Amino acid sequence: MNNIVSVGTSHHIAPIEFREKLAFSEEQLIESLHNLRNSYHLKEAVILSTCNRVEVYAVANSQMISESPTKTLIDFLSHYHRIGVDMLKKWSYLHQNIESIQHLFRVTSSLDSMVVGESQILGQVKEAYDISRSAGGSGTILNRLFTKAFSVGKRIRTETTIASGAVSISYAAVELAKKIFNSLEDKTVAIIGAGEMSELTAKHLVTNGVSKVIVANRTYERAVKLADKFKGTPVSYDEDLSFLIDADIVISSTEAPTYMIKRKQLAEIMKKRKHQYMFLIDIAVPRDIEPDVNKINHAFLYNIDDLEAVVASNIKDRHEEAYLAEQIVTEEAQKFHDQLQIFEVNPTIKALHQQFQEIADVELQECLNLTELSNTQETAITSMAHAIVKKLLHHPIQNLRNSVNDGNTDHTQYVHTLKQLFALDEKYDKEQE
Amino acid sequence: MNFLFLITVLLYLATTIFHVLNLALGERNDAVSIRSRIEMIAFWVTIFSFSFLTLFIILWWIRQSYFPITKWSDSIAFFAWTITLVYLIIVRLTKLRTLGSFVMPVAFIFILISYSFSETTSHRSELFTTNWVIPHIILIILGYASFIAAFGFGLMYLIAEKKIREKNQSLFSNLLPPLDVADELGYIFILLGVILLSIGVIVGSFLPTYLKDLPWNWFDPKVISTLVTWLIYVVYIGIRQFWGWRGRKAAFLSILGFLAVLCTYVGVDLTLDSLHEFQ
Repeated sequence: MNNIVSVGTSHHIAPIEFREKLAFSEEQLIESLHNLRNSYHLKEAVILSTCNRVEVYAVANSQMISESPTKTLIDFLSHYHRIGVDMLKKWSYLHQNIESIQHLFRVTSSLDSMVVGESQILGQVKEAYDISRSAGGSGTILNRLFTKAFSVGKRIRTETTIASGAVSISYAAVELAKKIFNSLEDKTVAIIGAGEMSELTAKHLVTNGVSKVIVANRTYERAVKLADKFKGTPVSYDEDLSFLIDADIVISSTEAPTYMIKRKQLAEIMKKRKHQYMFLIDIAVPRDIEPDVNKINHAFLYNIDDLEAVVASNIKDRHEEAYLAEQIVTEEAQKFHDQLQIFEVNPTIKALHQQFQEIADVELQECLNLTELSNTQETAITSMAHAIVKKLLHHPIQNLRNSVNDGNTDHTQYVHTLKQLFALDEKYDKEQE
Repeated sequence: MNFLFLITVLLYLATTIFHVLNLALGERNDAVSIRSRIEMIAFWVTIFSFSFLTLFIILWWIRQSYFPITKWSDSIAFFAWTITLVYLIIVRLTKLRTLGSFVMPVAFIFILISYSFSETTSHRSELFTTNWVIPHIILIILGYASFIAAFGFGLMYLIAEKKIREKNQSLFSNLLPPLDVADELGYIFILLGVILLSIGVIVGSFLPTYLKDLPWNWFDPKVISTLVTWLIYVVYIGIRQFWGWRGRKAAFLSILGFLAVLCTYVGVDLTLDSLHEFQ
């Protein structure tokens, strides 16, 4: 029997320190997907790794693996990232079947996001899915699941208002900046590294009046490219961070594995800028800015979790819409779950039906060839043959469908038996193609 | 007359309660609509209190036939009146009503002190009959009121900074101004206060020449404590200009200055013997 399972962690249950450890780079993703299929014997897998969440979705065939599928995933994560199983269990959620489906739907509809209604997550899930598909990670079931998840995400965004006026992280960043600076007009924002989120935040700041943008990147060409978008100034990245002297707002989102801005360095910079206020936003996971920077006088540091907390406490009135969206998710997840199971028995039903029908047709033809019958008689006999087929198959098909829905009976066992008893294998495989 | 004064005291008490309540509710995000109503009430009660105090001062003036400022208990009521006036002007200019949560309690305490001492203080000193005394006192009181406004901004700065640094959830309650505004306004009112205080002291320094028989003493406790207060603020302006001190350190200095004002205006009068003692 095929199980959809998922293991993951997000900003809701785990601190940033833990998520940092669990994050996957793109190369690691591809390697891991192969690993999951070959060494862990999972049929399909997709790994989603964003700054707020790391989630592994997989399809496991209970006959192929010895232990429970969620345990397999936990083992994989523990082994791959060298994290204790206990810690993983403490800060992760484990989902199976309908729970997994529902969770993914919540994720793509941004109901599980830091900022409910934001649209970035849909793109991030798509990207994760594309990587998995081209690396051969996903197969029939996950392909269907993710395609459905995208359409549910879209449906919720069009049918509810959660997306409109979404209080985004970038919005929160701007509002925070306004708590420090009365006017943003004469302020300078520095962007370190590139990334959608930092770009979005910078854009928001510029529309709110920030006049000067500095873009720093280890690759100067990239800095030039991003700077063009804001009519900003590209600067080459100095280790001494001297380009920060003029920056009032700093947005950092590099992929560096260690801190780029350390407390000592920034304290020097602050001295040079005569203790003018500096607002630092660390969007990166793993973090770019040493947390202790927040202890420097006149420097204020917010990382992605802090922004979430700020945003979460300031979102009101959207509970109702979120409730509506949750209902859509539940409904769609149930529908998909049923469909998926029926999808598993359908080919068998079809094959069975076809086989019976063919036998009946052949026999009917033989019979009709032997005797001369009037039209009415012919029609009567034909419909009788069809009725016999239908009635013979009625109970087996009904029970097979029920086995899917009641959950107590293992429908895969039925499918297996039917295929053997009626030698359906050949036809079944054709259907699959 | 006394009854009117009592009502004024109670009104100031109400003002204080509403202002503090407003600040306390600002900590909670779920109380937005109630808070805006409380803020409104606090503002109007302030206007009401101010009108009553004005009325009281005018009536008192008429009855005494001289401006009620030369007696200590009267001058401290006038001090409360000035604080309220400065606050209302600031609200008019900046819309920062939250400042009231910090300065109105001070005004209330002053009016309470004035009320409790109004019976005990005797006649005004003969020394205070010259007309130059009045601008001397008014200028100094105006300067002190500016310092109290600066103290309010200093406290607002400290609270706002703490909230931002600690990522407090009530950050967006719109109670507090942006950091740079609180800092800048605090500085402006200290500048203003120093200017007014300086002029007031200069006016006062001419008084001995007018009043020939004034037993003038440079080591008068009030003169010394005023000079200390003045020095604190002048030093503050200096280090801000030359070393770029701002923000937290500046806010702490404005609180230190406020304490000095309290010592000078209330402490010295209640404890030490001074020529400036109004009795």
